[in-house]
Amino acid sequence: MGLFTPQAGTTLWLYIAGALLASGVLFLALQLVPGRLRKPLIAAVTFVAGLYYVAEFFLPADPATQANFLTPYRSTIAQINQVLLSLAVGVGVYSLLTLHTKNIARRRQGWGYSVTLLAAMVGIFVTGLLKEYRPNDVNKAAFSLFFDGGLKSLDAAMFSIVAFYIVSAAYRAFRVRSLEATILLASAFLVMIGQVPLGQALTIGLPTEGFLSNFRTENIREWILTRASAPALLAVELGLGLGALSTSIRLWLSLERGSYFEKDL
Amino acid sequence: MDHATPFARVYLLALFAVIVAMVVWAQNGKRFFIRRIPGLSAIEEAVGRAAEMGRPLLASFGLGALTAQEGVITLQALAIVSNITEAAARFGNRVIVPVRIPALMPVAEETIREAYTRGGRPEAFQLDDLIFLSDRQFAFAAGVAGLINREKVASVFLFGTFYAESLIIAENGNRVGAVQVAGTPSTTQIPFFIAACDYVLIGDEFYAATAYLTRQPTLLGAIVGQDIGKAIVLGFILLGVVLTAFGVPLVANLFADQAVPWGEMLRPVAPAGTGG
Repeated sequence: MGLFTPQAGTTLWLYIAGALLASGVLFLALQLVPGRLRKPLIAAVTFVAGLYYVAEFFLPADPATQANFLTPYRSTIAQINQVLLSLAVGVGVYSLLTLHTKNIARRRQGWGYSVTLLAAMVGIFVTGLLKEYRPNDVNKAAFSLFFDGGLKSLDAAMFSIVAFYIVSAAYRAFRVRSLEATILLASAFLVMIGQVPLGQALTIGLPTEGFLSNFRTENIREWILTRASAPALLAVELGLGLGALSTSIRLWLSLERGSYFEKDL
Repeated sequence: MDHATPFARVYLLALFAVIVAMVVWAQNGKRFFIRRIPGLSAIEEAVGRAAEMGRPLLASFGLGALTAQEGVITLQALAIVSNITEAAARFGNRVIVPVRIPALMPVAEETIREAYTRGGRPEAFQLDDLIFLSDRQFAFAAGVAGLINREKVASVFLFGTFYAESLIIAENGNRVGAVQVAGTPSTTQIPFFIAACDYVLIGDEFYAATAYLTRQPTLLGAIVGQDIGKAIVLGFILLGVVLTAFGVPLVANLFADQAVPWGEMLRPVAPAGTGG
């Protein structure tokens, strides 16, 4: 674990230099791998990486610590994953820059939007850096203008649109066109009636216990949600769990064919 | 459950063995049958329609990342998108693929490029059609909605992990009159897709998609193994119902999150609600 403990000062710089050197050597070595061996190599790396998680989960854990000898490396491996994924942010930024600079250079339709996007990107990047390294009122306000005033408000605006889309989608879905749509409409109506105080007031005269209590709107709603909807959802989730297990095994053992691998490795 | 209980170890290894055995059997020539799934049969139709209309199609592999929880969903969705792209390439269609997670750009690029090659038109692959939009949920949704409206796509395919933005995307597809096929393991989003899309894959149909589309023996074998696993679970559920009715909590103890000693399996040891 010594190799993975946080360092400071000169040792940190040595670690960084060592990591860069090792990455460079690894990159060169990978470039030298013949084409026909690349996919078996990917399959081997996938298997070894997956094996760690499988072994860590299956090997018995010490009842006192709830850990086996592989458990302490979990956070280190998670950090390595995090670093690898963070490096890829650059790929996304590169993709955005290429696409939108092309739009602007070729004066494609709507190129003005590309200018806006790039200006906002540069703006939030620069003000973010200034806020972090020169944290005065002006820089903080400039960043807040982009982040709170722009990005967060636009996010909220997009989210609020969902309410309107729900209405239009529900209108289409609940039209009585078939037996299934009718059952859907009736169930939704009963759940809504049982949910709102006005709907509950309709059956307030019925007793709270005994056979007739089953016809109170809130009890009908409860029955639909817990006796009809929840079991169906659990059944769907059971299928999904097994599907995920089966797909994970296919990917881990590189058995997937057609999409990621050819017929033969 | 951070580590497998003794029963989970036996049970999961048995499921693993069944799935691998079915895959090997299929690879050795056993032909398995897979029932017709309307949502997947519609893919070819939707791709063909886009070709007839001379308009592009949009295929998203969702908002999921490559984390432990979402990675398998995202890779499965990308595999489905790859098959859609291959079919589209055969028809000479353009496929727009929006991307939310930057780390997936290289993976998606390689996968989509290979799909065009398999479809016989490697030159048709345009890097500009594989677009990183934003890693922010609603910025991504706005970007996809914009693409759908500007490009007037003929078909929309939504596979993978989706959250609250699912309806924004699907309703925009509906507005431009696109044929929409969706499939997601996010159970909270399935109702929205059912309301807004023409075809929806529900539950494990999502994981059966690549097997259905490619008819690869390996994938068909895995689906059969998965179904046997489902039958085993169903058996345990029925056994649990019967035993619990007679006051024997054996199945609840077997599937409890914390290991129950074998000697105490017939006593009510596991706290309520911990059954796996």
